[in-house]
Amino acid sequence: MQQAVELEELGVQIQEASRFLEKAGEQLSRRIIGQHEVIRRIFIAMLVNGHILLEGVPGLAKTLIIRTFAAAMNLKFQRIQFTPDMLPADLIGTMIYNPKDMEFYPRKGPVFANVILADEINRSPAKVQSALLEAMQEHQVTIGNQTFPLQEPFMVLATQNPIEHEGTYILPEAQVDRFMMKIIVDYPSYDEELEIMLQSATTASELPIRPVVQPHDISRARTLIDRIYVDPRVQRYIVDLVVATRKPAQYGMANLETMIEYGASPRASIFLLLAAKAHAFLQHRAYITPEDVKAIAYDTLRHRIRPGYEAEADNIKPDDIIRQILQHVQVP
Amino acid sequence: MAGFHKQLLFLFLVLLPMAFSLAYSRAEGKVQPEITVRVTPDSVLVGDRIRCTITVHHSEQEVAALELFNSHDTLADYPFELISRKRLSSFPLSVAGKQAFELEFAVFGNGHQSLPPFMVTLRDINGRITKKIPCTSSASVFVRALTDSSMRDLRPLKPPLKPSIPFLLIIAVIVGVFGVAGIVLLLLFLLKRTVRHSAERVDSGQVAQRKLRKLGSSLSAGMPPHECYEELSNIMRTFLENHYRIRALEAVTQEIERDLKKLGVAGFESIMNLLKQADLVKFADSRPDVEESRQSLHKASEVIRSTRDTKGDGSIPGRLKTD
Repeated sequence: MQQAVELEELGVQIQEASRFLEKAGEQLSRRIIGQHEVIRRIFIAMLVNGHILLEGVPGLAKTLIIRTFAAAMNLKFQRIQFTPDMLPADLIGTMIYNPKDMEFYPRKGPVFANVILADEINRSPAKVQSALLEAMQEHQVTIGNQTFPLQEPFMVLATQNPIEHEGTYILPEAQVDRFMMKIIVDYPSYDEELEIMLQSATTASELPIRPVVQPHDISRARTLIDRIYVDPRVQRYIVDLVVATRKPAQYGMANLETMIEYGASPRASIFLLLAAKAHAFLQHRAYITPEDVKAIAYDTLRHRIRPGYEAEADNIKPDDIIRQILQHVQVP
Repeated sequence: MAGFHKQLLFLFLVLLPMAFSLAYSRAEGKVQPEITVRVTPDSVLVGDRIRCTITVHHSEQEVAALELFNSHDTLADYPFELISRKRLSSFPLSVAGKQAFELEFAVFGNGHQSLPPFMVTLRDINGRITKKIPCTSSASVFVRALTDSSMRDLRPLKPPLKPSIPFLLIIAVIVGVFGVAGIVLLLLFLLKRTVRHSAERVDSGQVAQRKLRKLGSSLSAGMPPHECYEELSNIMRTFLENHYRIRALEAVTQEIERDLKKLGVAGFESIMNLLKQADLVKFADSRPDVEESRQSLHKASEVIRSTRDTKGDGSIPGRLKTD
């Protein structure tokens, strides 16, 4: 009974603490039409220190969403266009020689910001991608022999184009795994497209975005998210979903055994739980239900499942595999 | 001596008309036809080809033609297959009373094989048949069987034997048999499915009521209320899955809500309240008391009864009447 009362109180606190997200959402909707799910997932990742890989054809307002998000959240934004001739120093910074005092001084790169847009991340070679990987994982950067912590919150939103692969460097599995979610940005609906056209086909400058979030709002939200209750049944459900990607036959999906080359890593369980907590936070709930898990399962698992040869031959995508897993694993 | 001279004169008188007659007939070109057959080579491997040249010498007023060898029927009893035939007509004028035919055969069988009989027909200049000469040639060819060491080339094959039953009829019979079997299996499957589903639909409500009664007894016997809610959630989901044929056991409450709303189910609000209450107990660590649990069981029983009652009016089970 004590626990229930605590959760009720926590629910009230969450409702109060999540108001800043509603305000930020209002600001975003001034410029962004549609793409509500993408925005919701960016909020989720920001709340639990995650990074996002955005995939979509050009022109779907990926950059605009991120730029507007950073402006509304009052966060420092940096856009880095990844190119084949890029070097790690272009990203993290380098040591500059000062002839006056004959010493080297560190010069920080564009990675020193809160929100990093790594545009077309797969256009740069592996060494540049790895430099970003260190920053994403450790939240710190080493230039020369000095280590600099990155500003909090630190969030990387990388984009890649799904249709143009010529001259690209496919992200290694180890790097892809470090992204909390992979979001597929889809085309807007007919009505949304109409609205976008009418709003954007003007010579006037973009509507100004007012920063509505204070740094302590995010840290407070994170503290509350950590207190969200996760029932052991839901914990087991999360693990069941992840294990089902590795051993589908154990869950009555023998047909998937040859469809999956390898399944999700334990990092998937961690991110699935974190993202489900953030999802419950957005719903003003102090506890997770299987609904929260299902809601973010596709985005959290799709880049962690590698379809096998048979799946590729039958044009079965990771989303199809996840759909089948969600339909077969019994909900608690 | 005089007697000898008389005999000599007599012989001369007898032979003279004969000589004249012979000379006359030759002058008219009436020559007895002569047929020669030549086969090359005289020894072959089975399936090899031989060349057979038939030459006919005849009078200049006649034309020779080779008959038979034209169809397979003629050769059916012989291990020969006619590949090609042609008339060789490029003889010089001096031998105008001569015709030659060249035939190519594929040879099968084993050992000495005699050429099949053929017929030569002679016609006069008006096209009338003057003579038909059946010929049985003494020419033969020796056929050797194939051995592994001699198999170097592909051999021409014998034409396939015609089946005694028409091929299309066999196909039609096979297709018919499989078709009938398929239809029977499909009917059995559909029948089984219909019987099973109707049985499930009839029993799902009864089964759920029985489980609820048992759960009520367990609650009275001291079962913790939170466990009661967990079981209640399972009973409701199983009932919804069997009764409305929706995926309820693998679905979250929100998905069930969406499906039931789509179906326009009677008692929708009550069902959702029960499921949400059970969710609170299961996932939010809510701890209801025994009385609360008993009320929920009663409510569940009523919901199930109401959905079963609406089934009797011929509408879809539990669906709201929308007049």
